Formats: sequence, structure tokens, C-alpha cells
Amino acid sequence: MSKKWQISRRRMLKGVGACMALPFLDAMALPGMSSPVPSKSPLRTAFIVMPNGVHPHHWTPAAVGRGYEFTQQLLPLKHLQDDFLVLGELMNMNSLRTADGHYTKTANLLTSTRIRQTTGDNINSGGVSIDQVIANHVGGDTLFPSLEYGLDRIATGVDINVGLTRLYASSISWKTATQPLTKEIDPKMAFDRLFGRYVPGAKIKNDPWKQSVLDAVLDDAKSLKRNLGRSDQDKLTEYLDSVYSLEKRISDGANQEKFAANLTGDVKKELIRLNQNIEEYAEVRSGVDVTEKTRMMLDIMALAFWSDASRVSTFLFGNSVSNRNFSFLPGVNDGHHSISHHMDDEKKLAQYVKITQWHMEQYAYFIEKLKSMKEGESNVFDNSMVMFSSDLRDGNRHSPRNLPVLLAGRAGGRINPGQNLIYEKETPLANLYVTMLEALNIEKTSFADSTGKLANILA
Amino acid sequence: MKHTQFICFCLAFLLSAFTTKASAQELYDYDTEIRPLLSQKCFECHNTNMPKANVNLDNYKEKARVVKDGAFWLKVLEQIESRDMPPKSKSPLSDEDYRLLVDGINGILQSSLKEHVPGQIVIRRLSHTEYQYTIKDLTGYDFDARSYFPSDGSGGGGFDNQGGSLFITPLKLERYYDAADLILQGVAENEQLWRNIAPEEYDPSWLTRLTVWVKSLFDDSYSSMTHAQLTAEKTIFPFATKAYRRFLKDDEKARLGTLFAQVYQGMDTLDNPQRFDQSIAQVYKMVLVSPNFLYRTEEEPPNSKAYYLSDFEMASRLSYFLWSSMPDDELFSLAYMGKLQDTLVLEGQVKRMLADPKAKRFAESFSTQWLGINKLLDTQPIVDPEKFPDFDMPLREALYRETVEYFYYVLTDSKNMMELVNSNYTFLNQKLADFYGVEGNFTDEYKKVLLANANRGGVMGMGSVLTVSSLPLRTSPVLRGKYVMEQIMGISPPPPPPEVAELVEDEGAHSELGLRKLLERHRSSPGCFSCHQKMDPLGLGLENFDATGRWRDSYGKADIDASGTLADGREFNGPAELKVLLMDEKEKIARNLATKVLSYALGRGTIFTDEPALRKLETALLENNFNPDPFIVELVKSYPFRMKINDFRDKINEVL
Repeated sequence: MSKKWQISRRRMLKGVGACMALPFLDAMALPGMSSPVPSKSPLRTAFIVMPNGVHPHHWTPAAVGRGYEFTQQLLPLKHLQDDFLVLGELMNMNSLRTADGHYTKTANLLTSTRIRQTTGDNINSGGVSIDQVIANHVGGDTLFPSLEYGLDRIATGVDINVGLTRLYASSISWKTATQPLTKEIDPKMAFDRLFGRYVPGAKIKNDPWKQSVLDAVLDDAKSLKRNLGRSDQDKLTEYLDSVYSLEKRISDGANQEKFAANLTGDVKKELIRLNQNIEEYAEVRSGVDVTEKTRMMLDIMALAFWSDASRVSTFLFGNSVSNRNFSFLPGVNDGHHSISHHMDDEKKLAQYVKITQWHMEQYAYFIEKLKSMKEGESNVFDNSMVMFSSDLRDGNRHSPRNLPVLLAGRAGGRINPGQNLIYEKETPLANLYVTMLEALNIEKTSFADSTGKLANILA
Repeated sequence: MKHTQFICFCLAFLLSAFTTKASAQELYDYDTEIRPLLSQKCFECHNTNMPKANVNLDNYKEKARVVKDGAFWLKVLEQIESRDMPPKSKSPLSDEDYRLLVDGINGILQSSLKEHVPGQIVIRRLSHTEYQYTIKDLTGYDFDARSYFPSDGSGGGGFDNQGGSLFITPLKLERYYDAADLILQGVAENEQLWRNIAPEEYDPSWLTRLTVWVKSLFDDSYSSMTHAQLTAEKTIFPFATKAYRRFLKDDEKARLGTLFAQVYQGMDTLDNPQRFDQSIAQVYKMVLVSPNFLYRTEEEPPNSKAYYLSDFEMASRLSYFLWSSMPDDELFSLAYMGKLQDTLVLEGQVKRMLADPKAKRFAESFSTQWLGINKLLDTQPIVDPEKFPDFDMPLREALYRETVEYFYYVLTDSKNMMELVNSNYTFLNQKLADFYGVEGNFTDEYKKVLLANANRGGVMGMGSVLTVSSLPLRTSPVLRGKYVMEQIMGISPPPPPPEVAELVEDEGAHSELGLRKLLERHRSSPGCFSCHQKMDPLGLGLENFDATGRWRDSYGKADIDASGTLADGREFNGPAELKVLLMDEKEKIARNLATKVLSYALGRGTIFTDEPALRKLETALLENNFNPDPFIVELVKSYPFRMKINDFRDKINEVL
């Protein structure tokens, strides 16, 4: 109790300082009034992935359509029934084609391709992930084409049992088939990268030579590339592309101004609040409270959407096979992966349900957060799609059939949420991605092993 | 010279390869003898339709395919040779058939190795550890790279220095840029560090300025600018040469000079020496972001055969292998003199490098990744904080440190790597002595302690290893058994058949039924038996250690029974006896160390064509009582370490 008081006192003091640094009018503006009102709101897409599957019997609601009765694991979403879809019988077929276990189902959850079996010398996911396909279309308008977030460091080592690098267990976003994107797991670094310089009182470092330095290293890279063999050249392409992407951001003055213009009123207030939370967390509770860390990462994602720093994001709750200790939940006394191998034991299944519920609570938190973010007459949630899935149905069986998939959001009215939809058995998961592409007006009628789009989703 | 050396080398290599295993000739024909017998004995399970354990032998229609997947066939050979296959449930091979398969497959594999191919190594981005140490050795500045950069995965033998699993993404590049900024700021704040990397203080006297002015009157291309740039280059070029770990090319020099001039000109509001120093700092920043610094590159001159690396490339391979960092002055000058092709010089350098305190970086990086204990340094909880409240960060760090100190001692002092398995000593400080309950006088420093209790000595008695091979709330003999098999002996049990669930081993079961009984029940199923009879006893023998490695005699009510029988019938009771039995597994352990260290040194997984080199490494251990010196010398002299072969795919000539 006394600890709480200390934190809130500090938060208050910091808050006072921060507010005073703000221009008077901005700080006093009424909520909703000073938020930017773009002529047409952009559409945002997020993919939220949890490891280790769900209790297979308490996920899918029995009744199809609207007004269905909630299953245990979906209960945390009850008050949001009209805001999301439950999608049944989707399957990621290519998960079955490399090896057993989790890894081959995680790395390709968003690519729907077959990954290459390797301990690490020739990593290949088989294709570009859906978030990156979307980012390639819509990312050019924002400072950050896409954001990749998570909670855990990449799992290290090689699982010699299945002959696969654990990197596959930790990577869902693939810029190319051979380049997994880096996941940011530290709330402070993630926040500072996007918003650090806009925090009132932030020391902004002047760096007039950045462009010249980048130009010079680019020339170094080009010159180096000529003398290398093909595989090395391919590897160095990652470097070149990364420099281009950084150069584009720092040289695009118009985009920067547009972004800065979005950071007013309520957006700015949220920015300041979040910054204080993160600073406190870093000081006091780093690495301890996973719920709080999750919410901060989701807050950053939401703010990135609201401020239009980015329109595409992924979030990985834990690397697959994560044995995160969930004993902080009442009634749970083991790690996630251990419990997911429940062997139909009632006691374990009960714990399994509780862990999934925790994940659903965080998903609900994100949805509510987006709903609270006003955008003209509507809110950010109405202009978003937030997919949720795990790479398995039942952790005990490692089955990629009938995945636990949800899709929240209205995509600017393109989507008809509020239903429980059950498709034919073994419908490709990629069909959902094709449907999402259509909702985003991206002209691409197929993706990986897709066979068409999913019925009854588009409005 | 190089040519004769090469031939001698080839011969020596061939001889050794053929003497390690008896039959190097192809005694049997694949199409008419070997494959028909495989079809008769193996295809029933290992066929195309339902390949058991994902092994499909039917797929190998021609000998060429067998050779291509040599590493896989080596495993097949091991299975047949050890008589693990065909399984006990099927009729065993007759002696004649056994010989035909073993000698036949062995013959094919051996003769395919006549041409030794070094294998390809993709350019390696510095790992975070390597980055940190290279910065330290280059600038003297301590930078915590592990916390600052987003984490990497690992590949090959399970290490973080494997090129194929090291990436650069926009986010990482940004971090490299910001890191370079922070590092140079840090260095600039320390006058001494700064003068080490920028010894020229530029504050031209009135006389110099006058001379420059006069000179510029007569020479249009000369100005005060030129003078500053020429002076700067005296500082910049040596720094960049070190950072790039080779001589600079002309275009690189030009780029560095131009960047300096550009910045210096733009900083005209500043006075010297600040103006000069700050301009240099910008150039250094560029050096630290350049791909020539961030990647370890080896160039590809046109060559259709395998060839030796250049001397500078050798210097880097050596220094990153044993020091996790850039070459020092001695290695650099040996490379300059072209001496690093000489095996005697290499031998001398290995000894010198191992004797250098920097060898501890190898000890730490290799041992903690090999044993998977590096996660002790993460902030994320490993064991349940409520059940093990005193398992805090300082303790985790201390346990990690114990293993590192121990490995370093084995590497540089005791010189017997079998002591990793069993010994009568360890390294403790006050915190660890309290944790293990060892009496004596201790401080915060680690010191070597002789152990009265025979259960602890060796990595399997260390809290670090015992923790990472447990679950958050309890021990799992299966996991520990698997750990010992995989990490110590280098054998991987096949994955459990699909849809088979884990054993329930919750707290209740421990005391009510006894874990041992549960495991026995588990093993009674024939699908589980073949692997679990190997794994489980190894873990049960360590049951006296709890999930953090503390000693215990009971689970609460039930006493712990740490006796067992290995798959080969040998019996033991308790960790001390188990370790004594494992000391007999010298060949497996030698093989495992050879594979792991070679993979670490090369930055890629070991492949079939490494086989002759691996066998030589094994022999080096077995014949020298597991002394690491001749082993590492052998490794450094081996063809995968010293040679390279081109990637014959078409190059990209258009460089955007």
C-alpha cells in the first residue's frame, strides 16, 4: 500500500512538471476537441499472437452467428461481443510439412508457408508475412512502415531434437523469406524510438551530420558488396535496405511535420501519461510485473496507431514453447508450456483456461484502448483490424487445425463484427489474410496457400 | 610454397581420415547390395508414405543422394552400428548383414570425403558480445551491448556468433547508429580515452598557420582546410584500419577524408581543437556504423578450388574465436608480414592467446552458451519466485560466474576437459559457499575450493546447469536426463511421437506415488521405452539436487532414491557414482566437444564435409588426455578453419 502511494505521488509531481511545460491552450483543450481530424482516417492492422494454444473445448461458442453464448476462455471479451469475430476451423496447412512441434507453426503463422528445416545456417520462412505485405502497401505514408513488439528476448540455442533454430520460435514478422524483423521488447526503448523527442522537456540532440554519415556508410556497403560472394551479397542487402529505410525517415521532412502535427491535445496527454508509466516501470518494477509490461507495450502500439506513427504492428506474447511462470494468477502453479501439455488432466486444463483468459484480458485491454482514442466522429478501433491467434489449437496435440482465431475492429466499416463464424474444416488461414487485404483495399487476390476469401466477414 | 604446403596438408589429412575408421573403400555396391538390404530391413517403417521418426530411407534411390545427405547417413550408420536399429521388436540383423550395412555405408561416406571441402561461411555481423569487446579493445570504452541491442537468435551449434542467424534490420541499424553516438560521447568525456584514439591535438600555432597561408598562395589546391584534413587523416586512418581489421582501400580512405572535410567545414563556428576533435568524432561514428566494422567479411577472389584465407582474415578468425574481439597488434603485424599461413606460427599464437586474460571471453561465451546457462543473466524469472525466494539476481549471477571460472580454469590451468564432467573442486565466493553449504573463509572473490563431497564436482553438480535443466517449480528427471545426453554427450534422443503427452509430475504425485514409480509406468509403454530407458536414469541420478541445485534428501515425505541403471546395464547410486560412469564415455564427450567448439569457431553448424576435421579433433582430445591446447591448435590448423571455397552462384553485379 505504501509503495503505491509513493509511486502515485511521484507520478503526480512529474505530471505537474510535464503539464506546465505544455502550451497553455493545448493542455486546457477539452477531450476530443483538439484531436486531429484527418479527412479520411487511415486503416490500421495489428496481429496479436500467443504461444502454446488454448483449451480446445472451451473456446469456440456453440451457436453460430450473433448473440452466441460465451465460452469460458472468451469471457473476458464478453462486454465487447459486438466488436469482434470468432473464426472457426481455419488451419495453417503448411505447418505440418517441416517437422513436429511448435517452431514450424510459429514462424509461418503470418506467412502461411512452409519453413525450411535448419539449425540456423539458411533460415527461410518460405515467404513474406502478411503484416509486411500490408506494410509494403500502406507503410510509406508513415514514419515507421511497421512495428514489431513482444515481451521476451529471442529464444537462444538450437533444438537439436527437431533440428531447428529457436529463432523460428521467436519470429512472426518476415520482411523477406530470409529476414525476420527485430522484435522490440523493452517499453522504454520502444517508446523513445517513436515519441522520445516529443516528451515535454526532452533533450533533443541536434545531429546535423546524420545524413552525411549514412551516405558514407552506404558507399562503404556498395563498395564492399562488389567483392563478396553471392550469399554474402544477399546478407549485405539487409544492411543496405536498413540504411535506405533510415535515410528515408530522417530525410522525409513532410512526413515528420505531419506526425508532429498529430501530437496535440489528447494524443499528447496520452503520450505524457505513458511516458511517466514507463519511466516508473523501468525504475521500480522492471521485469517483475508481466501484466503491466504487456499493457505498456500495447499502449505504445495504440498510441502509434492514434498518432499515425505506424499503421501496422505485430505483438508476440511469448516465444513459442514459452514456459512463462503464470503462478501470479490465482489457482495456477506452473509454466505455460508445461500446463499446455495437460494430458486431459482436469486440474491442468483448469489452469490452462486461466492462462488463456489472462491473454484475452490483455487483448480486451488493447481493444478498449483503441476505442478510447477519438478520431473525428469515431475512434481508432473503428478504423482498425486486430487479429488474434495462437499457432496451435490444443497445446497437448500440437495441432494447427481449427486455430483459435479472432478478428476485432471495423476497418472503417468494411467489416461486420459481432459474429461467431465456423467455416468448412481445413479452410486455409491465408483466406483470412486475403479477406483482410480486401478490407484494406489492397489489390491482391491471393496469399500463400489461400483459396479465396472468407464469407460473411466483409460488410 | 603455398602449393606444396597445400599438397602436404592434403596428404596428411587423407591419411588421418583413412586411418581413423577401418574401411575407406567401397566394399559393397549401393544399388545391388546395400539398398536391397535396406529395403528388406528398414523400409517397413522408414518409407515414403509413413516415415517413422520422419526418417525416410526409401527416398535415397541413388548413391549420390546418400553422399549429398552424408550427415544424415552418418546418423543412420550410428544407429545401425550401435544396434539401436532395427529395434528390439523386429528381428535383429545377422552378423553378415550387419557388416554389409556398416561397412557398406561407411565406405560410401568415407570415399566421398577424399576431396576436402572447407564449407561456406556467410559474412558474420558481430554478435553483441563481440561488439562489446571489440569496442572495448578499440576505444577502451565499456558499452553494455547486451542490454542495448535487441537480442539475436542462435544457430548452427547453438551459438550467437553464427552468421546465418545474425541479421540487420532497420531497427538494429538505428541502434548501431545511436550506440556509436553514445560510445563516442562517452570516450570524448574521458580525456585519456579520447587521446588514445585521437592522439593528434590540433591547435596550429601562429607559425603553422602562417606557413599554411603562404603555401596556399602558391598552390591553389592547398588551403587551411587541406592542412586540417591531412592532419586528421593521420589519426583517422590508423583507427579505421584497426576497426576494419585490415588495410584500407583507396576509396575508403577517400571517403573518410571527404567526410572529415565536410564536417570540419560545417563546424566553422567552433574553435580548434574542439572543431577538429568533433569532426573526427563524426568520422569515427561513421567507422563504427560501417559494414566493414559491423560485419566480419572475407572477400571472394575468383577461384574454382578451395583456397586459404588471407592473413588478415586469418587474424580475425583467430581473435574472434579465442578473444571474441579484433586482432591485437601482434596478430595484426604477423598478418602484415604474411606469417599466419605458417602452422608453427599458428601454434605459437594459440598458446599466446590462451595465456592472455582475454581468453576468458572465449571461456565465458562458449561455456555459457554450450550449457545454456546464459539465461541466468536475463531479468526474467527462471524459477518460481515464491517457491525459491532467495534465487535472486545476485545469486543467479554468482552461479553463472562459477561455471565460467571453472571452465576457464579447465581451459588454461588444469588442462583436462574431462574435469567438466567430474572433479573434486569448484570455484566459490561467500554467496555461493552459503548457497551450497560449504564451510570456510570466503570473500566476494571466487576462489578454487577442494570439495569434500564427491557429488558436486563438474558442471552437472553446479546450480547453474541444474537450474536451467529444471522447470520453474520442480525438477524433471526427463528434462535433466535429456540435458545430460544432449549437452554433455552430444546425443539427441528423437522427439516423442506426435500426440504423446508429457508425464504428470505435479507436487502431489511426487509424494504420493513417488516420481520414480511414475516414470517406470511411463517407460512401460514400448513407444516410450527405447529413449526413456536412456534418458530417465541420467536425470534420476541427479534428483538429490532441487530445481535450483540445492541438495535435498527427500521430496518432503518420500525419500529420494537416486539409484539407477544405465541403458548398457551399469548400475549407480547417486550423482557421484553416475558421474564416474559418465567419465567412461570419453569418445562421445570428445565428439561433442569437437563439434561444439568447431561450430563456435567457424560461426556455422558443422556439416558432413567437416567430418575428417572432426575426427582429427576427437583424436587430439582422446590422445592427449583431453588437453585443450593440442585440441585448439588442431582446430586452428584444420581446413575448415583456414580455408574457404567460393559460392559459385552468380553474383549480383548491379549494386544499387
